[in-house]
Amino acid sequence: MQEKEVIIIGGGAAGLAAAVACEQKGIKNVLIIERGNYLGGILQQCIHDGFGLEKFNTSLAGPEYAQRYIDQVKEKEIPFLLNSMVVSLTPQKEVTVINNNGYTHYQAKVIILAMGCRERTRGAIGIPGARPSGIYTAGVAQELINLKNYMVGEKIVVLGSGDIGLIMARRLSLEGAEVIMVAEKLPYSSGLPRNINQCLYDFDIPLLLSHTVVDIKGNGRLSEVTIAQLGKRGGIIPQGRRKIACDTLLLSVGLIPENELSREAGIVLDNITGGPQVDERGQTSIPGIFACGNVLQVHDIVDNVSLEAEYILEGVAEYLKGKLTKEQEINVELGEGLRYVVPQRLISRKDTIFSFRVNQPGRKKILLFEEGRRLIKKKSLRRVNPAEMVRIKLSSREVEGIKTLKVRLV
Amino acid sequence: MKAANNHYDIVIVGGGVVGCAIARELSKYKINIAVLEKEADVGWGISCRNSGVIHAGFNYKPGTLRAELCLEGNKSFAKLCQELDVPYKKIGKVVVAQKKEEIGGLKKLKSQGEKNRVEGLQIINSIELKKLEPNVKGIAALYSPKTAITSPYLLTIALAENALRNGVSFFLNTEVKNIAKLRNSNFKINTNKGKFTSSYVINSAGLYSDKVAHMVEKNKYRIHPCRGEYHILDKNVSWLINHLIYPVPQTGAGGLGVHLTPTIDGNILIGPSDKYIKRKDNLSITSSVMKMLSAEAREFSPLISPGYVIRSYSGIRAKQAPSSEGGYWDFVIEESDKISNFINLIGIESPGLTAAQPIAKRVVEIINIKERLNSNPNFNPFRKGILRFEEQDEKTKKALIKQNSDYGEIVCRCEKVTKKEILEAINNPLRARSLISIKYRTRAMMGRCQGGYCLPRIIEILRENFNLAPREITLKGNNSYLLVGYRSNKESESCKKKKLLSLAEGLLV
Amino acid sequence: MEREFTCIMCPKGCLIKVEYEGTDIKNIKGDECPKGKEYVKNEITNPLRVFTGSVLVGNGDFSLVSVKTPSPIPKKYLKKIGEITRRIKVEAPIAISQVLASNLLGNNIDLIATRKIKKKISLSY
Repeated sequence: MQEKEVIIIGGGAAGLAAAVACEQKGIKNVLIIERGNYLGGILQQCIHDGFGLEKFNTSLAGPEYAQRYIDQVKEKEIPFLLNSMVVSLTPQKEVTVINNNGYTHYQAKVIILAMGCRERTRGAIGIPGARPSGIYTAGVAQELINLKNYMVGEKIVVLGSGDIGLIMARRLSLEGAEVIMVAEKLPYSSGLPRNINQCLYDFDIPLLLSHTVVDIKGNGRLSEVTIAQLGKRGGIIPQGRRKIACDTLLLSVGLIPENELSREAGIVLDNITGGPQVDERGQTSIPGIFACGNVLQVHDIVDNVSLEAEYILEGVAEYLKGKLTKEQEINVELGEGLRYVVPQRLISRKDTIFSFRVNQPGRKKILLFEEGRRLIKKKSLRRVNPAEMVRIKLSSREVEGIKTLKVRLV
Repeated sequence: MKAANNHYDIVIVGGGVVGCAIARELSKYKINIAVLEKEADVGWGISCRNSGVIHAGFNYKPGTLRAELCLEGNKSFAKLCQELDVPYKKIGKVVVAQKKEEIGGLKKLKSQGEKNRVEGLQIINSIELKKLEPNVKGIAALYSPKTAITSPYLLTIALAENALRNGVSFFLNTEVKNIAKLRNSNFKINTNKGKFTSSYVINSAGLYSDKVAHMVEKNKYRIHPCRGEYHILDKNVSWLINHLIYPVPQTGAGGLGVHLTPTIDGNILIGPSDKYIKRKDNLSITSSVMKMLSAEAREFSPLISPGYVIRSYSGIRAKQAPSSEGGYWDFVIEESDKISNFINLIGIESPGLTAAQPIAKRVVEIINIKERLNSNPNFNPFRKGILRFEEQDEKTKKALIKQNSDYGEIVCRCEKVTKKEILEAINNPLRARSLISIKYRTRAMMGRCQGGYCLPRIIEILRENFNLAPREITLKGNNSYLLVGYRSNKESESCKKKKLLSLAEGLLV
Repeated sequence: MEREFTCIMCPKGCLIKVEYEGTDIKNIKGDECPKGKEYVKNEITNPLRVFTGSVLVGNGDFSLVSVKTPSPIPKKYLKKIGEITRRIKVEAPIAISQVLASNLLGNNIDLIATRKIKKKISLSY
C-alpha cells in the first residue's frame, strides 16, 4: 500500500490545474493518475481556439492551453501515471489502480476527483429506428478526426446545437465533409452565440430549432435520418417530418459527469448537475474527497475549470492542516429561474464562489442572494443563457453569520 | 476438416444457436460437416437477440416437442455451460399476478408445468413475493426455481468454437442462394461464395427456414416475423430485482409478455414486445413500443425510470402462427417427406435456446437411424472461452498482469475489459472481425457509455493487428464501415519550412 | 438583409443589429463603443477568422500536430487552407508556435503548431 498526501484522479484540465495548485501551496507527495496515454484530457482533441481568454489573456487552442499546465507539472516534477485506470475508490480514500505494471493500492489523505464527463448516447435518448454504423457522439468523432487522422463520414447531420456539436459542424466542414444541417430540439440553441456565428453562419449550415431526429435508416451504414418539428410542448408535429439522405449522424446531446467511482465510494451526487454535492470548499459528502472540473459540473469554458481547481485547493490545504473550520452547516436553497447552484451547502462562512446556470435564456435579469427576507447581495445580469455558466463571488463579510441562504433569478 | 471440392457429408444452413448445437453434436461422429452462415458471425439472427432465459417448461402445452425438449434442455444446461465455459445462473423466475383474475392463470401454469414434470413450482402470496422481490408489485406469483439465465451469444459462439475444434468447417458471410438435388442424390448448394455439395442438408436457417425449405420443394412452411423490442438498463440499478419477473401470459399474444430479465452480466432487460411485421430484416426500434416498455416495467416496479435505459434493441421471432391467430405452433424437426436427407427445423422460437442441444440430438438421431454414424474418438466436449479479467480475484489479477502486461490496460472502462481480452476476441477461431463480434465476445461497448471511450482504442487495436485500411473496419460486416478513410493521405508531401505554397499548384513551388 | 451579431470584442457581448445588402452597410444599431461598430463592419465586409486544423506528423508521439494561423485570415480561405493541411506532412519533434508552413496561398498565411510533439521513442529489444 503506497501512501500519498493527495491523489488526483484524472490528468485533464482540472487535474492538471489542481496538481499545479497543490505544488503552489507547498503540498508534496501528490500523484496524478490518468487513464489515457497523454496528459491534457479532452483538451488534446479540442484543436479549435478560444481557450485561455481569461486565464492567459490570449486565445489558445486546447492543446496549447493544456501544455501550459503540462509544462508546469513536468518542471515541478509532479509525479503522474499514464495508461493507469483507477478501478476502485473507497470512502476511506484507498485507491486501486491497474496498469501494465500491475495492480496497486494507494492510501491518500486527500482525493481530488477530476474525472471529467462522458457523452450522452443514442441509446440513452432513445432515437427510434435502425442501428447502422455511422452514428457517433461528437466527442468520439472529434477524437477520431483530430487525434487519429480518420474521416468519419461525408454527409453529416448533427443533432444538438451545444458547443461540441457546433464545433464539430465546423471541423467537419473544414475537413471536407458536407454538413447538411444542425438540428436542435429546444427552441433556442444551447451553444455560445459566438459559435453559432463562426461554426454555422460562416459555413452556411442551417440550424433547425425545435427539431429532432425521429427515425434512422441504414442497411449496414447509415443512409437516411428523418427529422421532425416539435410543438410548443415538445410533441412531434406530424406534417413537419422530413427525410434527409446522409451517411453520418453526429450526436451532441449532453454531457454527463463521470461519477462511477464517486458512486461506488458512496459520495452523494446532485441529480441535476450529475456531480457530487459539495460545500464551498469543493469537498464532497466524504471529508477529504474533493471534486473539481467537469466531474463536478459540466463547464463551458476551460478557464473556469482551472479557476475552480485552484479555488478548491484552499480547502484541500486547510484539510491537510486539520484546519477546515466548520460553522453551522446550511444548505443553499435553490429558488426560481436557476437550474442549479454549486456549492450546494456551506460549512463555513468564507469568501465563496458560486457557480450556477439559469433555466432559460433571458435579458436584464437580477440574481438575488437572500437570508430569509434580508437581501445579502444582488447582481444584474444583462443577458443570461443556460449555455453560459455564471460565477459570482460572495465575500466572507457578505456571508458572515448567515443562517440560511437562498439564491434565485428574477 | 475441409473436404475436397467443397463436398461435405452434411451441410448445415444457418449458424444460430441451433445450427451450432447441431454442428457440435454431429462432430461427435466421423463425418465432414460444414456450417454456412450468411452473416459475418454466428448467432446474429435470433440467437443473440433474445432474453437469454433457460425456461423451466411450464409455458408449453404438454405433449409438445416444445415442452419435452425444454425440460430435457433445462436439465442438461448447467453441464453444457460448464463444458463450454459459458456463464449460467439458476436465478429463478416469478410470474406475477397484479389482479385477482390473473391468479387463475397462475394456477393453470403451475398445473401445466407439473404435467410437463417441471419441479419446484410454487404459488406464493404477496408477502412471500415481497420477501423475494421487495421492489416488485403483485398480489401473488408462481415461483419457478428451475428457470435459469445464460449469455445466448456466448453460448452460440462457444458451440461454434467447440464444433470448429472438433473438425466442423464454418463459412461466414456465405449465403445460400439455391439448392438442387442431384441425380446421385447429393445436394448442390449455390452460395454467394461458391458451390458446395453434400449428402445431407440441415435447414436451421431460423427466420429464413421457410425460404430454404422452398429451395427444394413447394411446401406449407411459412415463417411470420414477429418483432420484439427491448430496453437495457444501466448496471447501477440491477439491485431492483433478484429473479426474472414475468406477467401472466395472455392467450393469442405473439410472445410471453413484457418481462424484466436480469442478464447474466448484471443488466436488466425490459421486454420483449411483440408485433407482427412485414419484413424479416426490419430490426427497427419504435418510439411507441419504447414508451410502452417503460410503462409496462413501471407496472411491476414503480422505481424503474426511463432515465436508466442505456440502449434499446430488437429481435425477431420466427413464428409459424400467422398474425390472425397468434400463439405458438410446435417445433418442426423433421426430414422432408418428399426430399430425402433434407432435414427442416421450422419455427424454432421460445424455448429454442433452452432446447438447442436436445433439438440437435433429435437431428442426429434422424441421421443416425439412416446412416449408422461412427464415433469420433477425438471428440473433445470442452472449450475454454476468453478469461474475463474483471471477474477474477485480486491475487489472480496481479498474476495475470505480471504474466501478460496487456491485462494491465483497460480498454473498455465501463465493463472493465482489458486489451488482452480484446486481442483474444479479434483473434477468435471463427475469424469474425467486426466490432459486434468483439462486443459479444468481451462485453466491450456494452456499457453505459456505449463505446464512447473504447471505440477509438478498439479501432487502433484492430488496425494494428490485421493491417486493415480504415474502410475495412466494420460494425457488423458488409456495408457497415465506420470510417470513410484517412482524413489526410498517409503519403502526404513533406512540408519544408518556409517553402512557398502557391494557390495554383497547391503544393511546393 | 438584417442580421444580429453578438460582439466578441469585450465581455459585454453587445447585441448589434445590422441592415445590409451584400457588403453595403445601411444601418447599425445597438453598438455601445467604436470597437463594436468596427467588429460588425468587418463581419460584413471582410470577415476574418483564425483557422485551426491538423497536419500529419512523422515519428511523433501523436500522429497529428494541431495547427492554427497566428492571426485571423479572410474567411473565404478557410476551406482551402483546410485542404492544404491534408496534403502536407511534417517531422517530429515540434514545439508549440513552431512555424510549419508559411505564405500559404501566396497571402502571408502561416501555420503554426499548437500541440507539442515529441519524437516517438522506438523500443528496441
